[in-house]
Amino acid sequence: MVDSHDRSPVRSERSGDIGVIYASDYLNKLSGERIERECRAHLSAGCRALVVDFKNTGLVNSIGVSIMLGVIDAAERARAPLVFSNVNDQAAQLFELLGLMRHAALAKDESAALAMLTEVNLQPSLSVLVGELT
Amino acid sequence: MSTENLLKVSPTKRILGRVAPENFIGRSDHLREITALAPSTSRRRGLLVHAAPAAGASELLRQAYDKLFQQHGGASPIYFAFTRQEQTVTAAARRFLHTFLSQLIAHRRNEPSFVNAPPSLRDLIDLADPADYEWVERLVMTFERARVGSDELALVRLCFSAPALAASRGARCVIIIDEIQNIEKLTGEVELGNEIAQVSMHADVPFVLCGLRRGLLDELSGGNAPHRFEGFGTIHLENLKEADARTLVERLADTERVALSDETRDLIVQLFNGSPFYIASFMYAAHRDNASLTSFLDCQKIYVDEILGGRINRRFNSILEELTPSVTTRRSLVRLLHDAATNAGGKSPVEAWRRRLELEPDELYPLMFALHVRELASFNATFMEISTESLWRDYLRASYRLQVATEPRALVVADTLVETLKRAPQTMARHYRRAAALGLLELLAQFDEQQVAASLLHYDRFSRIYHGIEPEEIEPGLDAETDLIRLPQIVHAASCASFHPPMLLVCDEERCAVAHGFDAMPYTDSNEVVWLAVEIDSKQEAGRAVTEVWCDRLTQVGYSCGFKRFKLWLVAPEGFSAEASELLNERNAFSSSRKQLELLTARLSPEVTDGREAAGIDAPDEFEMVIPMGSDTELIAAHTVEQIARRLDFPAEAINQIKHALIEACINAAEHSLSPDRKIYQRFRLESDKLVVTVSSRGIIVPSPTNAVTNGTEAREEKNGRRGWGLKLIRTLMDEVEFERVDDGTRLRMTKYLHR
Repeated sequence: MVDSHDRSPVRSERSGDIGVIYASDYLNKLSGERIERECRAHLSAGCRALVVDFKNTGLVNSIGVSIMLGVIDAAERARAPLVFSNVNDQAAQLFELLGLMRHAALAKDESAALAMLTEVNLQPSLSVLVGELT
Repeated sequence: MSTENLLKVSPTKRILGRVAPENFIGRSDHLREITALAPSTSRRRGLLVHAAPAAGASELLRQAYDKLFQQHGGASPIYFAFTRQEQTVTAAARRFLHTFLSQLIAHRRNEPSFVNAPPSLRDLIDLADPADYEWVERLVMTFERARVGSDELALVRLCFSAPALAASRGARCVIIIDEIQNIEKLTGEVELGNEIAQVSMHADVPFVLCGLRRGLLDELSGGNAPHRFEGFGTIHLENLKEADARTLVERLADTERVALSDETRDLIVQLFNGSPFYIASFMYAAHRDNASLTSFLDCQKIYVDEILGGRINRRFNSILEELTPSVTTRRSLVRLLHDAATNAGGKSPVEAWRRRLELEPDELYPLMFALHVRELASFNATFMEISTESLWRDYLRASYRLQVATEPRALVVADTLVETLKRAPQTMARHYRRAAALGLLELLAQFDEQQVAASLLHYDRFSRIYHGIEPEEIEPGLDAETDLIRLPQIVHAASCASFHPPMLLVCDEERCAVAHGFDAMPYTDSNEVVWLAVEIDSKQEAGRAVTEVWCDRLTQVGYSCGFKRFKLWLVAPEGFSAEASELLNERNAFSSSRKQLELLTARLSPEVTDGREAAGIDAPDEFEMVIPMGSDTELIAAHTVEQIARRLDFPAEAINQIKHALIEACINAAEHSLSPDRKIYQRFRLESDKLVVTVSSRGIIVPSPTNAVTNGTEAREEKNGRRGWGLKLIRTLMDEVEFERVDDGTRLRMTKYLHR
């Protein structure tokens, strides 16, 4: 039986004021909720920006993507910029189709995401960040 | 007993049974209970069998008879059924004695042919075992003298005391008396039911007394104070459970060589509500007509034939003929029943029955009581309520149109077929909704002052604590919670519609429950409480508007039923939005998601079951796969389709698109069909330039009454919601997407071309 939580769990760490969350290999409801939980935890702990890294994520489904909108909402409410990194082409296409890209920025990899956030000096407005990066 | 005689009966030989033992399904426990009466060490003195109409009680008793007969050297089984044709008490008593002696001697001589072709009483004396000869001869002689006398009571007692006499001479029997409701119309001075009750309680012989459940005890009491039947066990014989009914349909299809599909098998079970009698009649009719049963149309054709002219038609006809021998009265009765059935609630006042049937009370009340006992209507002192069983109603409607309105038969047949065919998907949808319901009623019935974590009944708290947490981590979390709720002790739980019928307009019966209980001891007014619980149909977190509507509805039910103190409990599969939770807290209502309900159920009753079967493979370029819903099994499908797509050299990007489309299709199937087997069926067909993927699941997608009513509200919430994107994605990822309508729902077919 395939069981996502046995393969690559959601992890997170903190890099200065930025919370970095590493998504598992399949973005579905449960792993999406875990990402959301981690994001909220980092925001509560005072992080001023978030990076969700999809380096290990091969497949995504629409429920998982829909939960990412919850992450975007949470980040917006906290006025914390959010960057998705290491998103593969297929996931990027789905993010685009489902409208996530209007609210979050994409970075090639984690270090690029951190650099972006440092460059904009953690501007409080996400729209500013998205505008600057696109 | 000689070896030669032992060989006459093979273990599977049927004597009275009409169904092959291997096709007699779902009654093994009851069979065991009956055959356990045979040993003289049996704890029980007998059994009362309260049977639902057409639940196969007679066949159960006949199968029990055959089993007992084959236990050579043990107690002799005697099966006697009161018939509708018998007129007098003395005729029935005489036939009982004859049946008793012929079956006793048949068993003791191991001569089953005597059972179905009994020798005369005189011949039976000669055929009796030497050990029995003397008492049998004396009994027959005494009987011959009594039958020409005028003492009816003495004759009846002589006949029915024969088993006790035999036992006292070493011939132990198990007496099985069937169709006791037919005693009612026997004429004579003796209250036969009462006599049988007396004999069965005082003779040192086990009796099995069987009759329709609404009339058995009344008949046995014979107008006297109810007997206690001390030492008797009770069997409540209902229609078959769904799994057993499905097995029965499959076995009969196999035996009768009738082609069948899973979908039609389930439809047949629903059409006849698991009644073995009707199911068998239906399958025999299909065999007789050399019909296959692979589509809903096939089934409904046979169904209509049966209602208008087959065994099912004859069964209802014979009941009505028996109740109203006069043709004119029978026509009036059909008209009256039909009219009452079309009234709101299916009710009509007794006074209307008296006037329209023009019967005196001494004729009218037995007629109404007989309809009540046969469960064709319920007699409630001042009104009659016609049974809602669709088979009976279909028969009534057709009979009315043919016999009373004298419409052309072809028109009635065509209309009935069209109507029942239109109803078939709804019947299945209702079944699926029922099967998919969360089981509130059963859960409430288990409430018995247990203490549970408060978060199980407060969605907002649960979500706050356990959102995104591993399932196995939740259990310890719940164990560690200190805020606990003591559940009430529920003493009665029923569907909300039983208390407040208008609820049926907005909610399936099994999704709303009313439970009466006490939230503390002792049993006092102040501790009395009623829980009103509902399962809201919502694919996502239920919003404030829907939640408010349901809070208002339940509160209204509470007030209109006069409940002094009540608690609301709302359950939504995905829980409740923050705004809805706020409202629930304001209203002091409990709230749970499916997950919470599962956890609560596991805590109250730790046993959970599941299990089903799979399918096969056909063409060489076609692959089939069946996966269970849930547990990320769509990943298995995605990896499989990847391997298949590679065979056609699809580029990596296209393979990724196919995988994602398939994942969405699987999620869609799991989320949107009320699947009875919780499986997703997939077919992958490779053609020279394309891959065709078909995804289907059993279950019908229909708007539930809840949806119909709350549509506006839900639509608003859906707009703001973030689900329902699957199909949009699939259309973007694949080249062609189409829905194929099938009997049992919809099937999604997706095509990806190699070069496009």
